[in-house]
Amino acid sequence: MSNSNLVSCRRVPPLLRCGVIWLLCFLATAALSPVFAQSKAVVRSASLALDASQELYELNAKVEIALPEAARKGIEAGLTLRIVYEIELARVRGYWPDATVAQLEQVYTLSYHALSQRFLLRNLNTGEQLDFGTLQAALEHVGDVRGLPVIDADLVRPDTRYEVYLRAVIDLSTTPAALQWLLFWTDDWSTTSEWFIWPLRP
Amino acid sequence: MATASLSRIFSVVLMGVGGLLWLAAILFMAQTAQNSEQFSRLHPWILGINVAGIAVLVVLLFTKLAQLVRDWRAHVIGSRLKARMVWIFGVLATLPILLVYFFAVQFLNKGIDSWFNVEIRKSLDDALVLSRSALETRMREHMGDTQLVADEIMMSGGPTPGLLESLRRQVGAVELVVATEAGAVIAVSKGLSADVVPDEVPGEVLLQLRQGRPFVSLEPQSGGGYLVRTAVPVGEPLPGSDRLVLQAVYPVAERLGALADTVQAAYKQFGEKDYLRAPLKASFILTLTVVLLLSLLAAWYGAIFTAQKLVQPIQDLVKGTRAVAQGDLDMRLPLTSHDEMGFLVHSFNDMTKRLRRARADQARAQQAAETERANLAVILARLSTGVVSLEPDLRVRTANRAAGAILGEEVEGSVGCNLGEIGSSEGLLRQFAQSCRTRLAAGDVEWRDQLTFQAGSNRHVIMCTCTPLPSEGESPGGYVLVFDDITSMLQAQRQAAWGEVARRLAHEIKNPLTPIRLSAERMRHKLLPALNEKDAQLLDRGTETIVQQVEAMKEMVDAFSEYARAPRFEMASVNVNKLVTEVTDLYRAQVAGRGVHLGVTLDPALAEMVADQGRLRQLLHNLLTNAVEALEGRDGGEILVTTRVVTREGAEIAQIAVEDDGPGFQREQIGQVFDPYVTTKTRGTGLGLAIVRKIVEEHGGYVEADNRAGGGARVRVDLPLDETTRGQVVRGAARRPEPRRERA
Repeated sequence: MSNSNLVSCRRVPPLLRCGVIWLLCFLATAALSPVFAQSKAVVRSASLALDASQELYELNAKVEIALPEAARKGIEAGLTLRIVYEIELARVRGYWPDATVAQLEQVYTLSYHALSQRFLLRNLNTGEQLDFGTLQAALEHVGDVRGLPVIDADLVRPDTRYEVYLRAVIDLSTTPAALQWLLFWTDDWSTTSEWFIWPLRP
Repeated sequence: MATASLSRIFSVVLMGVGGLLWLAAILFMAQTAQNSEQFSRLHPWILGINVAGIAVLVVLLFTKLAQLVRDWRAHVIGSRLKARMVWIFGVLATLPILLVYFFAVQFLNKGIDSWFNVEIRKSLDDALVLSRSALETRMREHMGDTQLVADEIMMSGGPTPGLLESLRRQVGAVELVVATEAGAVIAVSKGLSADVVPDEVPGEVLLQLRQGRPFVSLEPQSGGGYLVRTAVPVGEPLPGSDRLVLQAVYPVAERLGALADTVQAAYKQFGEKDYLRAPLKASFILTLTVVLLLSLLAAWYGAIFTAQKLVQPIQDLVKGTRAVAQGDLDMRLPLTSHDEMGFLVHSFNDMTKRLRRARADQARAQQAAETERANLAVILARLSTGVVSLEPDLRVRTANRAAGAILGEEVEGSVGCNLGEIGSSEGLLRQFAQSCRTRLAAGDVEWRDQLTFQAGSNRHVIMCTCTPLPSEGESPGGYVLVFDDITSMLQAQRQAAWGEVARRLAHEIKNPLTPIRLSAERMRHKLLPALNEKDAQLLDRGTETIVQQVEAMKEMVDAFSEYARAPRFEMASVNVNKLVTEVTDLYRAQVAGRGVHLGVTLDPALAEMVADQGRLRQLLHNLLTNAVEALEGRDGGEILVTTRVVTREGAEIAQIAVEDDGPGFQREQIGQVFDPYVTTKTRGTGLGLAIVRKIVEEHGGYVEADNRAGGGARVRVDLPLDETTRGQVVRGAARRPEPRRERA
């Protein structure tokens, strides 16, 4: 019997065997992950400013939303995309946790109207609905936030440090729960952006 | 033991957890079966619980399988049968489950696919196209109306409010807006239902117009219904100023809008479902697979559990059988069921109980037999009679010590040997065995006889009885020989007879001798002077002869009287060495003239002994007389007298030996030399050695006579030193073979 045969006949220790299996699983996951391109949402810029009447703080932000081809096809097939802006105004309290002053969710739904061949963007907070000839136009519109009322100016104390948090959440909330759970494994469009945080000094 | 308990507890806990999870899953499913929304909400939990159940079952199953494999490798009894049963049960359960699973998946796939078949899709597409065509017709009509309005405005020279209102009413639009290409509104005309319509022209519209293309689009409304938005340029562009554009918004008929909404809703719903078809199928198949796995794992676990339950009694039985084979009859098997296996276990327990009882009875019987045997052995050992039992093929089965003592050799060591092969050559044992074997071989199985053997210089008379042992068959189960050495008894009888003869002789003969002598002497005294010389001489010789013969007869009668007289002991302390020296001195002068050397070897350790000095002196006289007479008729010779102290049976005794180098005893008479009137000499009464033996016996000792290896006779006397050792010597003499054989 040759040395190589001896080596091949040797029993692999269980710990080493488990390690090799885990490594292979990790490599396979890492290798396959680029295939499933995910949705992407990035807050490029955001600011909070008083409106013309100096009574309201309004949000202006630029959010870049990119959908992969599968998500676009899903929307064209009839699925409804849900886009949520989560806005939070917190008072900075030094060594204590920050105090939340205002919390707001701005929710949009984006769907395709096959009869008119238009993409419908609906603001669930106001009930306003807009239609667009292309999906990209609708995404650009929803990503361009202008004059969104956040909080009364009276509620913001002067000479106090505040921080504003903004992030975008994209998901498929209209699908059945059972399928949502299943889509957890194959969903390539649900995503949440990083928090965009900036200070506010009234 | 502790590991097994922990493993059992672990299995029970896992089974409990698995059962609870299973119940929870069923409960969830039962609660949500009527409510799809709740099912959707709880579906992940149901799936999670089932997956947890699978995990629990997998752990249980692999624990059991690992145990099964370990048992198989260790060749545990019943493991192979259990493995075979597990395999059969598992396969029998797996096949139908897999079959159901296969058909369920097929049905599911085909069923879901049938929901989204091509006809439905095509019908919906056609409905959409049809609706779109109907709306597009309207849109084209509205586009034409808008173009007419634009031409009217251009021909009228500009958009005045009155003109716009008039034209709006004319074409039935809800809104007319005239704006520049940059989007600045110049004039607006709105109907009452157009509040929601914004005033400005959308950038998208302006962009398309700038590209030289008219704009028309169908716009669904959030509250339901549709609007048709159209836009066209108004006239040619003027130098230095923007060209005007006209946007007209028309309502769609409510009926048409509702129909279009229905088609749109159906199309959207179908599209959504169609898109989710694959995940839906995957969801159902996943659920089915989970159920399949649960069923399979439960079936295999159940197979192992059932096989274990079925094999356990068999394993118990095998263990019990082995224990019984190794003699453990206290083994009781647990009665786990009341079926045929339970009956078998019950029978086994009953059998061990009976065996235990039988063994106890046998042990008691054996104990009793052992006790009897021990008693018999003690009795046989204490018997002075020899007992030898033989197998049917004449091999020695048992022998007691007395047999060896009688026959001069140990017989117990010859157990198992054939009767014809035991004993040393020419020995008493060999002669006895050969004699018995000859009789038994000739078919003489029951006899009683007196057997006489000559062993060396001794003659032995043995009374032997042979009896066959009983057996179940016709042939005897062996033989038993019961025998005793009656040589001494016969000698004692002879001695007693001689004593009686001597007593009668002394009484009947001695009494007339004195009158005879007196009468002869008187006759001589009276008649001798009155007779002539010749007659006187005759009378003198006659009376002289009578007196001499009477004297001789008197001496003989005295000797007889001495032999027969009752002992009158005067026991006292005697210095043996001194006595021997005195007696030998008397003979030394007598034999010195004939050139006979009389040697004396005395043991200084032999100082005093308790004896009748006169009788002891008589004993020495007789022995020395015998020796001297044995050397008569020859010149020279040697007589050796030796004393010493020897130890026999733990007691010290005095030994006196007288040897000579004469002709010795005749071989055929050597066993009778101590009998009266047995002598090889021409002189003497023949009572010398008989009296010696009588004196020795009176002192509780024993005497033996044999020939020396170099020629000559030797007589050896053993005497106890005192009364204490006398008893021991007498008892020892009864047990020892040697003195018994040589006792004279």
